[in-house]
Amino acid sequence: MADFEPVLTKGFGSLDLTDLAVYRKTGGFEALTKAMRDMTPEAVVNEVSASNLRGRGGAGFPTGKKWSFLPKDGRPRYLVCNSDEAEPGTFKDHMLLENAPFNLIEGLVLAAYAINAKRIFIYIRGEFLQGYRIFSKALADARAAGFVGHDILGSGYSVEIVAHRGAGAYICGEETAQLNSLEGKRGEPRLKPPFPANAGLYGMPTVVNNVETLMYVPHIITRGAQWFASIGPEKSPGPKVISVSGHVVKPGNYEIPLGITVRELIDGYAGGLRPGRTVKAVQPGGGSSAAIFAEDLDCGIDFESLAAKKTMLGSGAVVVMDDTACMVRSAVTLNRFYEHESCGQCTPCREGGQWVHRMVARLEAGEGSEQDLRILGTINRTITGTNLCALGDSIMPFLQSVMTRFPDEFKAHVTQAGCPLRLRKESAA
Amino acid sequence: MSAAPTNTRTVNVTIDGHTLSVPEGMLVVEAAKRLGTQIPVYCYHPKLDPAGLCRICLVEIEKMPKLQIACATRVSEGMVVHTSSAKVAEARKGVLEFLLLNHPLDCPICDKGGECDLQDFTMSYGPGESRLTEPKLHKPKMVDLGPTIVLDEERCILCRRCTRFDDEIAQERNLIVDDRGFGSLIATRHGGEYTSYFSGNTTEICPVGALTSKAYRFRSRPWDLGHTDSICTQCSVGCNFRIDTRFGRIMRTFTRENTAVDDGWLCDRGRYTFNYLYSPHRLRTPSVKRDGARVDVTFAEAVALTAPRLADAAKAGRVGVIGGGRLSDEEAYALQRFTRDVLGTNNIDYRAHLQKFATPSRFGAHLTDLDDASLILMFGALTPEQAPILDLRIRRAVARGHAKLMYVGPYRPELPVEARYVDYPPGEIADLMNQLADVVHHGKEETGEGFVAEIAQELASSEKIIAIHHGRDPRGAEALERLMETLHRFDHPVGILVVGATSNARGAEAAGCVPNLGPGYSPVSGAPGMTTNQMLAAAAAGKLDALLVIGANPALTFSDGDLVRRALAKVPFLAVADQVMTETASYADVVFASASFAEKRGHVTNLEGRRQPFAAAIDSPIEVRDDAQLVAALAVALERGDVVSADPDVLYAQLRAAEAVSQPSHATDASLPRPLADTPPAPADTHDGAFTVIPIPHLYAGGGGVAFDPGTAAMRPSPYATFHPDDAARIGVIEGGRVTLTGKGGSIEVDARVALNVPRGFVLVLADMPEAPENRLLDESGFGRATAVSAGVKVRAAG
Amino acid sequence: MTPQREKRGSELIARYPDRRSALIPFLQFCQEEDGYVTDQAIADAAELVRLTPAEVESVASFYSLLFRHPVGGHVIQVCRTLACMLRGADELQAHIKQRLGVGHLETTPDGMFTYEEVECLAACDRAPCLQHNLEFVYDVTPQSFDALLEQWRAQPRPASPMPAE
Repeated sequence: MADFEPVLTKGFGSLDLTDLAVYRKTGGFEALTKAMRDMTPEAVVNEVSASNLRGRGGAGFPTGKKWSFLPKDGRPRYLVCNSDEAEPGTFKDHMLLENAPFNLIEGLVLAAYAINAKRIFIYIRGEFLQGYRIFSKALADARAAGFVGHDILGSGYSVEIVAHRGAGAYICGEETAQLNSLEGKRGEPRLKPPFPANAGLYGMPTVVNNVETLMYVPHIITRGAQWFASIGPEKSPGPKVISVSGHVVKPGNYEIPLGITVRELIDGYAGGLRPGRTVKAVQPGGGSSAAIFAEDLDCGIDFESLAAKKTMLGSGAVVVMDDTACMVRSAVTLNRFYEHESCGQCTPCREGGQWVHRMVARLEAGEGSEQDLRILGTINRTITGTNLCALGDSIMPFLQSVMTRFPDEFKAHVTQAGCPLRLRKESAA
Repeated sequence: MSAAPTNTRTVNVTIDGHTLSVPEGMLVVEAAKRLGTQIPVYCYHPKLDPAGLCRICLVEIEKMPKLQIACATRVSEGMVVHTSSAKVAEARKGVLEFLLLNHPLDCPICDKGGECDLQDFTMSYGPGESRLTEPKLHKPKMVDLGPTIVLDEERCILCRRCTRFDDEIAQERNLIVDDRGFGSLIATRHGGEYTSYFSGNTTEICPVGALTSKAYRFRSRPWDLGHTDSICTQCSVGCNFRIDTRFGRIMRTFTRENTAVDDGWLCDRGRYTFNYLYSPHRLRTPSVKRDGARVDVTFAEAVALTAPRLADAAKAGRVGVIGGGRLSDEEAYALQRFTRDVLGTNNIDYRAHLQKFATPSRFGAHLTDLDDASLILMFGALTPEQAPILDLRIRRAVARGHAKLMYVGPYRPELPVEARYVDYPPGEIADLMNQLADVVHHGKEETGEGFVAEIAQELASSEKIIAIHHGRDPRGAEALERLMETLHRFDHPVGILVVGATSNARGAEAAGCVPNLGPGYSPVSGAPGMTTNQMLAAAAAGKLDALLVIGANPALTFSDGDLVRRALAKVPFLAVADQVMTETASYADVVFASASFAEKRGHVTNLEGRRQPFAAAIDSPIEVRDDAQLVAALAVALERGDVVSADPDVLYAQLRAAEAVSQPSHATDASLPRPLADTPPAPADTHDGAFTVIPIPHLYAGGGGVAFDPGTAAMRPSPYATFHPDDAARIGVIEGGRVTLTGKGGSIEVDARVALNVPRGFVLVLADMPEAPENRLLDESGFGRATAVSAGVKVRAAG
Repeated sequence: MTPQREKRGSELIARYPDRRSALIPFLQFCQEEDGYVTDQAIADAAELVRLTPAEVESVASFYSLLFRHPVGGHVIQVCRTLACMLRGADELQAHIKQRLGVGHLETTPDGMFTYEEVECLAACDRAPCLQHNLEFVYDVTPQSFDALLEQWRAQPRPASPMPAE
């Protein structure tokens, strides 16, 4: 940990990396120059494959493999950059977009070159108006400098980037919903197959990559796959930006080598908890992930270690809840979120998600029943794994994990007709 | 529809322990059907693309970690499917529980009760007992979507079959999902209405009672209905349908899928036009004119009055018969038999409309030929209005991208799918087709006018070409057949469809209701009789003593409105048989009350020549007769009862026997004789400042039952005339104003419309509206000249 | 369609291989002009991208940042998801609602402020947070909100509560 130097976030806070000249001084666009001069698209794909870079958006799919899936049938191909960050607790892409737009542009062009795409669309979350403006300005500067557009750096390769603002829908972070949205449709996930690699944007072969994923690409090209692969665990190597929030003293984005423990992250990076408080629950991978608890803090932050704890790294959003947090109240915010953000296509997600929220909200309000607890205890069997996309699978993990770990707290909401923590606080006051 | 892999390779799939061989790529739900295994579905519909939304069809497939939807998963070799494992049962119970969560338990008053998939699947697969103590969330239960459909939002399970139908099948996209997630609703645009001609289909494909038709709401329970297989007779497509009756009364009609004809859909005119039978305007008894008043008589009295008049006129060779196009094949046969063998004349003609022929003499096509056509040429016909279910095939072929649509005519109608328009003056389309035939024949070097060469190029580069003609113009028909023959010689599959002006125009033609051809298109012995036009001219000139009009309303529909009215007023004896009091009947000395399509049985022949049987669903009122019974009774009165049977089975056998003798061939290398037709003059082209009138068809226009049907009244248009904006400005007419049009046969006052798709110097006038008969403006050519004067602003009722 | 809209429409269409992709950016532009997505904007968009107005309505209704009803000159969107809740969003929301006198998705009678509780805004390190006309405001406290409110009230009405670009 001590010898780890941040990669993407290096210079944040001290350098204005939205200035092209500053970015270039830090080695910016060297990777692109190298690739345009010396590398074939296949060489770029091979380098990224060798680095074992896995997607930073949540699913963790190997990036090089994704790029090599495209059918070679002469149809136009598209690269879509997913910057629709909206997973509860995740705020890394928001920061990266606003602070390092050129690193992203360089990654975009490299990836497009690797897959031989002539057009790139970056789907920027509608709420990130500032990020959209910063990116658009950087794009104009990069185009003027010849890094984007026609015949990049004399290589003969040309690519255009279009920045597209979303309009308010979490589900558009799901790649096929994003493609529909980009096509001017309702942001509803598509039936798969066909997969985007075959029939994506406008029915053409398409790669969708996350912002952070693409930003590592220039660094891999410059410093080599071996450098990247040597950081962190063998199966999920590399640095990763982790968003830490909730009950910590210094919430923020921290770029870490994957594999450090949750405890190291909370205490070593995020300033620990407030004095006198203890960890009650930690959501390690965004709103869709099951919580881990005080006894799990030595778990490594990487794809495999968290999977072993029946949760996930996801987008790398760590939300820390200390002993003052009511688990029912916490669950209400997430279940309300999934109700609000369901696209409404699938019955279990649309109806079940709403029902779960209704029941949890009822518990929180002190109006819940034993029957609600019984239903909530088993409803994951019909909600999880029965929908067209993964949103429905996100409804239950957190709720289920905290209900299992803190059954008494949930029961108390029924027997005491309200939140025991709040009641305790009120009686103390 | 889904692009299912169309290969003939088969794979072995095992479903619930039974192995069967099915085409590779078949959907699991369809493969299961072959075994008789029902997998419950809501969003899935065989005519729609798989959507995978409702999740009720989840099944277990070995080697797949999660349950899979049977409606979108395609079979592959060795696939092992379990449709009723514990996991599957639990998932189904879950989906049903979610759907029932806020579903109102109003089954006892729900129209769908008894044929509801939610009810049925809950019984078959639902949780044994409910754990739902959840208070129901309420939503509006009577959302008026438009003139035909009401939405109950509480009952809706958001399967989206309706919106997908409107998108994929109707291609209209006015029914939508509004909002998202739990707030999703089926809706129209803000303040908009769902006014599709196909709306009724949504009530059928709705798996629950969310979409109900205003015509059937709260009328009956499914188990109280009797079912009769019938054929729709509202247009010439001949969609198969079922008439559902209760206590001898029609409650509703329902699709009866025939993939070759209707593909399982009905248009709203076909579906809903039956309530006129129960309106006061339905003729329930014959009547005669006595001292200027109309007096009801019995059928026997009416026959006794009519028969001698016809006989006397026949003796003098001064009798004519008009009708057949709205009759069954059997009735049409009986009518021509009566005319020829009892009255002893060939003066019979079914053509009371602008239509002059119904059977392509060569290259007759089938409806299914549209499905794989590469170019569809529409000459003058307007299928969205005249043959809506045929039009769905065109929409699908064009939307799937393999067919192009070209519309040739004097104006540019708004078509539901992309079309190329070729503007061509009325009456001159034959010239265009002849030119095209020449260009195609001589190859590229011989180029006609620029756009002629271009169209010829388009023709030559298309594989299969299907032309749709309105049959109004014999010269055009000949030219079209010549063009088709030329293309055929260059190895293009070609075909012609003629859209009938009436449901059984083709059947009447085949049965011999034309002056020169008997049953089976056989040339008549002796001299051909008079055409409708000739009979009317003779009547107007005082050269006809009696006219029998059966199932026709020439006063409204014959092209020359001036001539027809003069003729009907002048002829000494006029007998008319119809179901409602039409303008033609109003001239009649004797009016017979005819049986409707639902009250008789027989066959009808659709525009492609397909003869389809239909059965009687209800009894007719006591003094009402079908038209075969009428002519048979007239024959009996004239002591020739042996000549004309009233029995449809006998008539059908006689018709078939006559056809077997004449042996008409539909092969493309033979040609059928064409009915005798007057060659209409070219439309007058004078520079008199007047407009050339183009009659425009509308689905709900007409002077028969539809004019008196409470079920379709809301959809009936108000008569209108449409001008080019420049012309409108010149004569001081504004959109929404009123305009008086005056032509050869008098004046009509209609609503004024202004649109850019009308060429300057033309006026489009809504046809076949009894309130404002456009044929007052027309001449024999089917077009006409009319002057237009603003008649001020339309007065609307307040509010 | 106004000439500005027509111009913007063709610029947007030129960005994409398929004109339909211009739909949402065009609606955003119309919303910037009118303050919300009017029926006219729906009709204009339908004409531009060659859809039926109903299809445009269906698309527009899907997205929470497209308003089909008039909103105030100041749209205040307060995060209500987990990380903000843990750091005082509930109290902040109660305070704002009390100060403005309106609830979720309501507009003050003077047409100045629309209040909405929204899902995670991806600024959890600066919780609780809100957006004011799509500009982030971080680390909001009841006190800092009151100061902002005074500032907003003193300023002229913003050109648009929902800028497009």
